[in-house]
Amino acid sequence: MNDIGEFTLLVALATALYGCVAYVMSARGNRIDLYLSADKTPFIVWACVTISSICLMRAFLTDDFSLQYVWAYSNRELDTFYKVSSFWGGQKGSLLFWALLLSTYMVVVYFQNRSKNLRVVPYAMAVMLAVLVFFLFLINFSTNPFERIPLPPEDGRGLNPLLQNYWMVIHPPTLYLGYVGFTVPFAFAVAALISKNLDDGWIRMTRKWTLISWFFLCMGNLFGASWAYVELGWGGYWAWDPVENAAFMPLLIATAYLHSVMIQEKKDMMKVWNMSLVLLTFAMTIFGTFITRSGLIQSVHTFDEATLGYYFLAFLFVIILACAALIILRLPLLKSANELDSFLSRESSFLFNNLVLLGIAFATFWGTIFPIISEAVRGVKITVGPPFYNQVNVPIGLALLALIGIGPVIAWRRATFSNLKKNFLKPILVAIVVAVALLPVIPLGSRTEIYTYMTFVLCGFVLTSILTEFYKGTVSRMGLHEESFFGALTTVTWRNKRRYGGYIVHIGVVLIFAGIAGSQAYGTHTEKHLQLGESFEIRGYTITYEKLVAIEATSIKTRIIAQLAVERDGKRYWTGHPEKEFYKGQNQPVSEVDVLSTWKEDLYMILADFREDESATIKVYVNPMVSWMWTGGWVIAFGSMISMWPDRLEQRRRLERVRRQEQLFPSPAQE
Amino acid sequence: MGFIHFLELILVVAILLVVGIPLFGKLKLLKLVEKVDPDSDQYNHLLVRKEETLISIKELEFDFNTDKISEPDYKELRHKLEKEAEEILENLDGLEQERRKNKSYKSA
Repeated sequence: MNDIGEFTLLVALATALYGCVAYVMSARGNRIDLYLSADKTPFIVWACVTISSICLMRAFLTDDFSLQYVWAYSNRELDTFYKVSSFWGGQKGSLLFWALLLSTYMVVVYFQNRSKNLRVVPYAMAVMLAVLVFFLFLINFSTNPFERIPLPPEDGRGLNPLLQNYWMVIHPPTLYLGYVGFTVPFAFAVAALISKNLDDGWIRMTRKWTLISWFFLCMGNLFGASWAYVELGWGGYWAWDPVENAAFMPLLIATAYLHSVMIQEKKDMMKVWNMSLVLLTFAMTIFGTFITRSGLIQSVHTFDEATLGYYFLAFLFVIILACAALIILRLPLLKSANELDSFLSRESSFLFNNLVLLGIAFATFWGTIFPIISEAVRGVKITVGPPFYNQVNVPIGLALLALIGIGPVIAWRRATFSNLKKNFLKPILVAIVVAVALLPVIPLGSRTEIYTYMTFVLCGFVLTSILTEFYKGTVSRMGLHEESFFGALTTVTWRNKRRYGGYIVHIGVVLIFAGIAGSQAYGTHTEKHLQLGESFEIRGYTITYEKLVAIEATSIKTRIIAQLAVERDGKRYWTGHPEKEFYKGQNQPVSEVDVLSTWKEDLYMILADFREDESATIKVYVNPMVSWMWTGGWVIAFGSMISMWPDRLEQRRRLERVRRQEQLFPSPAQE
Repeated sequence: MGFIHFLELILVVAILLVVGIPLFGKLKLLKLVEKVDPDSDQYNHLLVRKEETLISIKELEFDFNTDKISEPDYKELRHKLEKEAEEILENLDGLEQERRKNKSYKSA
């Protein structure tokens, strides 16, 4: 089976290379024979990569340690659940997983568009195949997951214990689905540039793909934060680590694109800007892959054998140069005939939102690459830590939060100042009430506390602004149709999925902002060395160390569990079981934290150390409002689902357009 | 030759056949895309703009109903959008008539 897996990878590379060339030649030479030949390749490549992936998965599930990759990331005792996730646990498998996702996306695009626009689609397929060629080349010749060990060992080295967490089964595939998904809009954008089809056809063809990729990238970031929170055991969820930043930057740029593209659809303008944002988003996904696989930056998230940096750097340069050249060449065709109607309009607020999002992305990018630049220029690696990011990004983030509230209140095209005053009245009043109500409760001693206070006030402003939008829309519908409030609310949301789905996403973002602010400013922690039966207090909780238990969980894993009784107001409230896990062959034990999560705060417990006399060092964090962030994530998921849901009205309009087009300009066969 | 190599050979031959067959037929004589009529692109572009302008009018109405825009501004913008829509419809009509004329001329 391993031979087949390795062989099909080679066949996939050769086929993808042929497909790429044949698609381009078919479009340039206007040859249908070449197109029909090339048109078989996406499916063949997908089938080959899938067979190869099945072979590798089989090797994991059957403990085939003749493969170096299986030996390095699995062992006999590993749960089947984690054997599956070991597939993408290391560099080799993760690249194969990337190729599998990309080829799957490509096949879906192939079935969706193969007969739609034959001037653009061949180039788009060629671009996707070219990206696949790059990954398949690396998999075949530089980091082959089917590399053999001449004398297979009895057992494997095992998966890094930090990766043995259910979030690690969910987080990487979700993030990859987002990363890889942006290849589709990128491919169509490049195809539109090459074929000079620069109306907004390519945008319409990839609108759903952009939304889906954005959704997965957003969820991937949040799942990664959840993993860091429960597994890394340092009490936090985000550390501005280079790899976290690498996943965050494409999300920011894609968010900017999702907003600005609406202006192109409505007013047929900002073509260069949107094109640049799509290309930049894809470049950032490759930059993220470069960061995790270059070995240049130290992070808990980088791969052990990160040696592919130069390949990715070269690929990145080729992409940036080629795309820049294409945009410059096509500049005359990308010019907009229209202008903004007014500076005071939703379009302008979207432009500001774009600048703010790009500002955060640039600051994050600078902080991420600064260690590399400082080492290259001065020979000293200067690490940029959270203070830099917080100092720069928090004020810009607050501006972004304010814009989320301002946007919905402003009309498209032109807002009237007097109406603006009227519409801003309620959100501003609520913001003032929040500000006054919080003033005696919240300390304002430090800059962090002031920023947190401002965040809560702005959250009040934004939530009111969004909820007022829902209310006004509903009441307006009720005035026109005889419907109940709930019925009108449902109809108005369902008939304007993009608008109201977007508002729901914004509510999720507000919850995340509030969660971050609360947990960053008002968290507290303490560390105590306790004998059995001893207690300590933190934020009204009395924590008593009751017992320490050792369990041989498996032949390679020993669990040391502390039992901590939590009392509140004199009553037993909860029992926490933080633990340390020792894995055979691993030098460092892994902390498994225990968290009591409520809407108000998280009680987060870590067994930091223990001794033979059963005394233990316990670390306890009280992190306020962390669950608001996770709730915000689910709200974003719900809003995204509404936005992504197929719109029958839009489909009907598209079909009508195609029908009229076909009537007047029939294809030669019909004529 | 082992069974695995035999399977590999079958796979390669099958792929070559699937990919190669379209290259050895009469398809060479056919074109992938007929020469693009610039009017066709223009027509499609106008259909899209028509849709977007009608959606903009609806949204303007919605913004007016939800008190985001004053009556004079609403009237002015609505007039502007209606004029835009009118121009687009005129252009669409013009293209349709021209196309039909050319068609009947060709068939005659």
